[in-house]
Amino acid sequence: MIYLMIVPGLILYYIFRYVTMPGIMIAFQEFTTGGFKYWCGFENFDKLFGLRAFWQAFRNTWVFIGLEYLFIKPSPIILALLLNEVRIMWFKKTVQTLSTLPNFLTWVVVSGIFIQLLSPSTGYVNAIIALLGGERIYFLGQAQIFPWLLTVIRVWRGVGYSSIIYLAALGGVDPELYEAAVIDGASRWKQTMYVTLPGIKNTIVVLLVFSFSGIMGGLFEPVFTLTDGNSLLDETAMVLDVYIYNTGIRQGKFSMSTTTGLFNSIISTILMLSANFASKYLTEDGRTII
Amino acid sequence: MLKRSLGEKIFNIFNLLGMLIFTVIIVVPVLFVFRNSFELSETSTATLRLWPEQFSLVFYGMVIKDESVYRPLMNSVFVTIVGTPLTLLVNALGAYTMSKRELPGKNFFAYYMVIIPMLIGGGTIPGFLLIRALGMIDTLWAIIIPGLASGWNMTLIRNYYWSIPNELTESARIDGASEMTIFVKIILPLSKPVLSALGLLTGIGLWNTFYAAMIYIRTPSKWTFPVKIRETVVKNEGNDKLWEEMMIAAGLDPSELLINQAGLGGAMMVVSMLPILIVYPFLQKYFAGGIMVGSVKG
Repeated sequence: MIYLMIVPGLILYYIFRYVTMPGIMIAFQEFTTGGFKYWCGFENFDKLFGLRAFWQAFRNTWVFIGLEYLFIKPSPIILALLLNEVRIMWFKKTVQTLSTLPNFLTWVVVSGIFIQLLSPSTGYVNAIIALLGGERIYFLGQAQIFPWLLTVIRVWRGVGYSSIIYLAALGGVDPELYEAAVIDGASRWKQTMYVTLPGIKNTIVVLLVFSFSGIMGGLFEPVFTLTDGNSLLDETAMVLDVYIYNTGIRQGKFSMSTTTGLFNSIISTILMLSANFASKYLTEDGRTII
Repeated sequence: MLKRSLGEKIFNIFNLLGMLIFTVIIVVPVLFVFRNSFELSETSTATLRLWPEQFSLVFYGMVIKDESVYRPLMNSVFVTIVGTPLTLLVNALGAYTMSKRELPGKNFFAYYMVIIPMLIGGGTIPGFLLIRALGMIDTLWAIIIPGLASGWNMTLIRNYYWSIPNELTESARIDGASEMTIFVKIILPLSKPVLSALGLLTGIGLWNTFYAAMIYIRTPSKWTFPVKIRETVVKNEGNDKLWEEMMIAAGLDPSELLINQAGLGGAMMVVSMLPILIVYPFLQKYFAGGIMVGSVKG
């Protein structure tokens, strides 16, 4: 009887996760919209690695990953540290409440908000620029600034929500440690460096390791909703996630799309396992995360 | 008590100021879209005003009257209302089996539902082929059914079940209650906090569905609301001919007025945000309870 209760879940998982697993083999097949043609070994990989468009998407993806780990990942830690210093409780709560909200909006709406906000003719940002006597800028038409723009928007959407877990970790730091630091004459800055940050180090490492499993993904919705297939932006905006969608769903090149996807997940898996291994040297108890 | 140095006081002031500016940056873009949705004429779109000059509900009228907007909206309502309780049901049931520590094979469930699917996945195309083989392409079921069962959600609910004192279920068992009765009469009512939190998150996720709809749905009348929003925000602006037709349909005189072309997209985005703004205070409550901390990972 008790086993019966999990059966719907097991069946759904079987159909939607396990039945599709062998589908990975499409990467080693000639597989068109009509179905399976023949096995072709690593031919698809050869073909993929010979494509300029693929390498462009690959490079762009890594630019976004770089920006993510330089700016997007640290931003909630900084916000949490600064919020933690705010002693006016209602103010702290208000900032937290408002900044968490954008995370729950769909990327379509987030992008839509910024498309309207940055519009050259009717947008708020350009109204400010014009008021200050500057030239109106078509922000979303310039490939060079797109990665930076997307980074700002991703921070805007996620920083509040991601900071929740760090604030929780900050709350868990032993108050006695602060008292001891104060008695030793440590300033607020010193307290932050020597008590607060070490106190939340484990949380940071755990989240970092887990983040690698999805490192190559998560870019489809932000990029796709913001660029709308604007080929002017492809130079910097075409990422592997969008490339997989375009080749597979739009153009029906099932083999190439799956090959790209497999390539993606191999890299993510390697990165996550390495990060997990490296975490041994970063955590206090010297054990790996997973 | 603590004596604050001058440096600390200066830091506090700048910190508060910084947080204030940060909050303004978070809030103003959203307010701007609200203004756009109520602003009829184009004349005030270039100002810094955050309230409309020519207040109008005409764009909200368009959302309701225009079949091509209204249908996707209703599709998203359907997906959310049907998908959320089904998701909760499947996962709450499964979590109960997983919560039995003494049951043989309980490790199997963790591997089967969480670890293996995390390591190996078919990807976009195999998923698409499966949905096609099941005949679910171009149906809303393609959005609801594949995501129903979730190992993460089951684990989260199971952890909550574990926090329910054993005595409560033991006494019922002694009285001869079946497992199903215990589940329905005791476990479910006690699990309201975790189920509400997950229900809200699931509902928001379904309401926001975009990627799945882009893959599985072809016909515009079957789109989810976000797909339609994207099309409107990007494509309607600057398309003067289309706007003339829409204005006439809405009973406005195109020769008299330069209509605010960001208005319809703005109104649609506000409609999309409203349910989230409404449930948000409830969601907030659960952050404080710490229930969600485990789920923040994703």
